[in-house]
Amino acid sequence: MNDTPILSARDLGHAYGSIVALHGVEFDLPPGRIGLVGANGAGKTTLIKILLGILRPTTGSATVLGFDTTKDMLDIRSRIGYMPEDDCLPLDVSASEFIIYAAGLAGLPQNAARQRSSDVLTLVGLEEERFRPLGGFSTGMKQRTKLAQAIVHDPELVFLDEPTAGLDPEGREEMLELISRLGGFGINVLVSSHVLGDIERTCDRVLMLDGGRVLRSGPLSHLVDADVVSVDVLGDVSAVVEHLTAAGATIDAGGSRLLVSSSDDDPFRLVRDALAATGNGMRSLGPKATSLEDVFLEGSET
Amino acid sequence: MTERGVVFDLGYAPHEGERRGRRGAIATTYRDGLFRVLGIHRRARKKILPWLLVIFAILPALVFVGFAFLLSTFAPEAESPFGSHAEYFGITASVVLLFVALGAPELLIPDRREGVLAVYSSRPLRPDDYVGTRTASLLTVIAGFMLIPQVLMYVGFAALSSDGFFRALGTNADEIPRILAAAAVYALAYAPVGLLISTIASRKAAATGIFFGVMLVGTALAAALVEATGVPGHRFAALLGLAEHPTQVSDWIFGRVGSSDLVVARTGFDPWVSLVVVLVVAGVSSTIVVWRYRRIM
Repeated sequence: MNDTPILSARDLGHAYGSIVALHGVEFDLPPGRIGLVGANGAGKTTLIKILLGILRPTTGSATVLGFDTTKDMLDIRSRIGYMPEDDCLPLDVSASEFIIYAAGLAGLPQNAARQRSSDVLTLVGLEEERFRPLGGFSTGMKQRTKLAQAIVHDPELVFLDEPTAGLDPEGREEMLELISRLGGFGINVLVSSHVLGDIERTCDRVLMLDGGRVLRSGPLSHLVDADVVSVDVLGDVSAVVEHLTAAGATIDAGGSRLLVSSSDDDPFRLVRDALAATGNGMRSLGPKATSLEDVFLEGSET
Repeated sequence: MTERGVVFDLGYAPHEGERRGRRGAIATTYRDGLFRVLGIHRRARKKILPWLLVIFAILPALVFVGFAFLLSTFAPEAESPFGSHAEYFGITASVVLLFVALGAPELLIPDRREGVLAVYSSRPLRPDDYVGTRTASLLTVIAGFMLIPQVLMYVGFAALSSDGFFRALGTNADEIPRILAAAAVYALAYAPVGLLISTIASRKAAATGIFFGVMLVGTALAAALVEATGVPGHRFAALLGLAEHPTQVSDWIFGRVGSSDLVVARTGFDPWVSLVVVLVVAGVSSTIVVWRYRRIM
């Protein structure tokens, strides 16, 4: 697998006058489906606009697919797609006309634009409605049209800004399903969202922003699994705690349930040894169930 | 053996064909601009006004040539009473003024109001490319309004000439640069102002109204201010009549200075002053439009 970063930043910063939106942002993100997570005002949209070449960074630099965002804007825009959070659809043309136009704007010849428009509208489930004016579309249909314009030209990387905004539960499920499928088409994805559950559903890597800085960055599995073991002890809890502490484990105790971690050893092995040595049993044992939300809240509190 | 159908899951196929990059993006935006101002690929009601204006611009030329044909058939010695190329600009200028009032807002305002600029911002297109191609679309249609009737008249009258078609074409060839120059002046006088107003206004109807206000009410106001003889420098108010300047320059190009009752001519301004006003207003307007789009794209 090619791990050359598709997105990189070095000391990246941007300020709107005296308001600092991004500061000292650094990351190297490999190909795949990347979640850009942060509360409103965390700097997600500013970062996307810098990566698209719409905004110039006030400090540092960023690259997209190896191209510098300030010098190679047209090279980047020839290779990416963008689904904005806000409305971006002309209301008086049909979905088909608009997607053909979006493909043409990306440089596809007319025949290819027509063919791909038809294919992509079918892919997003709008084949029946493709000749209807966009002004009459529901929110869910508009979101799918926005996704279609972002991928119609077969980009290497697509930026999706709050793709599930305004969708009902059914529409949200359909959108997440579509996003999950994009990786299989060879399209890298950066999904910006404040709905952490959406990121957990669709992404394999996360970049967390908080107050314009990088809070966490890494594979989702590393962030949410965090080598912490949860064990529900059956018997003398204090003896087990004492044994684990002596073995160098860090323990967060709450009644009979212990959260055990260790920087030096496998916490599962330490729990097994402690239970065996003290002659106690257990009701359950497993990795701590950690959501992205827990990681985000934990990180933003520190 | 029974024939078996095969179901293919086409899913998503990568595009491995040509990608034309910025060149393709510019061509697509330009073509969209032409379609948009003419209502092509739009609902029927969006086609009505532009195509009515096309008819208004061209029909008189056809009528003139038709009457000239009748005259040449039934009274070969009679001189055609129908307009010259210079006079015909008086007809098309009004049509172009109406067209710019309707077309310039259609080119710029929906993209901004409906957020479509975000799509352009993710394509290989610079803000200057966007403004440039939109302007080129408008100028192309204006050129069509201005030049197609002139070509019909030029070719039509030549075909009816007793000197023969090709000789008449050659005899009147000196009209061609004049026609092109006059058309360029009208386009420069109207299009940049229309695009500037459409850059500032948030609604198409408002932009159309403001354009008429600037061009027509402004010219009437200029005429009224010029009459206010008690005000020092009142004659300079004539320069505010933006709709009159291209006519003054056109008359100059065709050697007809003084033939029109223009306020700017009555107040003693030479045609070159009108040309300077047209160029300065066009330059300033275009600069503001580009500056604004560089900020929002």
